[in-house]
Amino acid sequence: MLDRLRLDGKAAVVTGAGRGLGQQMALALAEAGADVVCAARTASQIEATAEAVRALGRRAVAVPADVRDSAQCDALVRACVDAFGRIDVMLSNAGIGDARGHSRELWDVSDEDWRDTLDVNLSSAFYCARAASRAMIERGEGGAIINVASGTALRAYTLNFAYGAAKAGVIALTKTLAVLLQRHDIRANCIIPGFVSQRPARGEEELAMFGARGRYIPAQRLGEAWELGPLAVYLASEASSYVTGQGFIIDGGGLAGGLAPLGGEKREAR
Amino acid sequence: MPVPEWPNARRGLDAYDLSGRRALVIGAAASVGRAIALALAEAGADLALTTVTTDGEEAMALRKTARAVRELGRAAVEQVVDASLGTGVQVMVRQVTKELGRIDALVNAPVASAESFGRPATKVSDAEWAKVIARHLSATFFACRAVGREMLKSDAGGRIINVASALGERGLPDASAYCAAQGGVLNLTRALAQEWAPRGITVNAIALGWMEDSPALGDPTPEANRTVRFIPMKRVGRPDEVGPLAVYLASQASGYVSGQVLFVDGGLTVHL
Repeated sequence: MLDRLRLDGKAAVVTGAGRGLGQQMALALAEAGADVVCAARTASQIEATAEAVRALGRRAVAVPADVRDSAQCDALVRACVDAFGRIDVMLSNAGIGDARGHSRELWDVSDEDWRDTLDVNLSSAFYCARAASRAMIERGEGGAIINVASGTALRAYTLNFAYGAAKAGVIALTKTLAVLLQRHDIRANCIIPGFVSQRPARGEEELAMFGARGRYIPAQRLGEAWELGPLAVYLASEASSYVTGQGFIIDGGGLAGGLAPLGGEKREAR
Repeated sequence: MPVPEWPNARRGLDAYDLSGRRALVIGAAASVGRAIALALAEAGADLALTTVTTDGEEAMALRKTARAVRELGRAAVEQVVDASLGTGVQVMVRQVTKELGRIDALVNAPVASAESFGRPATKVSDAEWAKVIARHLSATFFACRAVGREMLKSDAGGRIINVASALGERGLPDASAYCAAQGGVLNLTRALAQEWAPRGITVNAIALGWMEDSPALGDPTPEANRTVRFIPMKRVGRPDEVGPLAVYLASQASGYVSGQVLFVDGGLTVHL
């Protein structure tokens, strides 16, 4: 059974692999056996991820890329095929939740803010899926596309409605990709994280802050970036052979509830 | 910038390792319940296995599952129980908890029976309605309640996995009682997830699409079956394709997933 979760001999592209969730998912894929193209804008960060992948005994290349540009998404897929001879997994994780237009009033969000937020969070997933599926179909051995959306797609997200709208687009895109690509044996699924911390808390003060935020979540804690890794491996591998078009919410139970306020009195966290 | 170290991180196949964990699988005699039991055992768990009825044939089939689990080198306790009776389930769970030492994970996997389908609502009798609700919804609640009591008492958290059907999320003609029962299971899952999340117990559901042994389906080959051709993957699912998801949901790696309904359906529920 566990063998079906292995990714030995497979090659993956992970965007947004320089830190946080993307970095942890890249490492999880590598630990399961995959070679990884680590992509993000900041070269030094993806180089660190690539180094960590190599330390696990897998091959890795770091390719700086701005996924708002479709040519650069094409180049990522090409880099994967050039380096490893194939692409089996496209993990589109790149996204910016707090960039342009964040925390602004509705009327203060410019056309440019709106477009840029959609470009980086939604168009990037389309560009990567288009490029990866072409290469997968050419090779004829199927593959797995994994997009990363957000719980903000499913409820009102007043801090950045453009982000929520973009991520809702990612969920819809994933469903259509699943139906369009199934005849090529390519599955497409989506991971929908809730409140997940990108890195461990630094110091007591930050630990207390994370703890306080966690009290608004049924599980009484924030998620930890590494927790997306095993889910990504499941969706990338043969273990999920009959699963396509789905959104896997990982949010400590938040979206399954939400009818009464949490976080009032202090509860024991575990 | 160095890669951050998460003290609790589980990666690679270790993330799914169930060594030293103990699971109770209700409905392990056949189909998906059996496949999940075997997958949990392969991942290292010791098991208690039960029937959902006191039917002799089901009891015999359960013995086969138990034997297969033991062949994998894991312990398997067997119990024949009518899962639709709350008191009996409570007694069984007490006994099993004593035998295994504790229960880390519960899997509810009652099998759909043919009589749940092809039944126009106007023809469904009181007894028939009550039977379907008892077998699928009440049985799931009784098991969650009994195991939940033990998990809360031991205060070590836990994992509950309810195997349900895509019919819990969508309607199908001539299956009103079954759709209602399955819908109940899905929202029971969400409610219990809210109630027990602060105690480290996750509650999730796996919603199955058309499986090769779905009683409502008939011949599962795509050539013979319009319904199968309607599935985006153009094929039915196999019970063994459900096992890995159950292992994930039973493992330490899924601690932040709760209240979810996860579809294993070949894309059935996503197309127009």
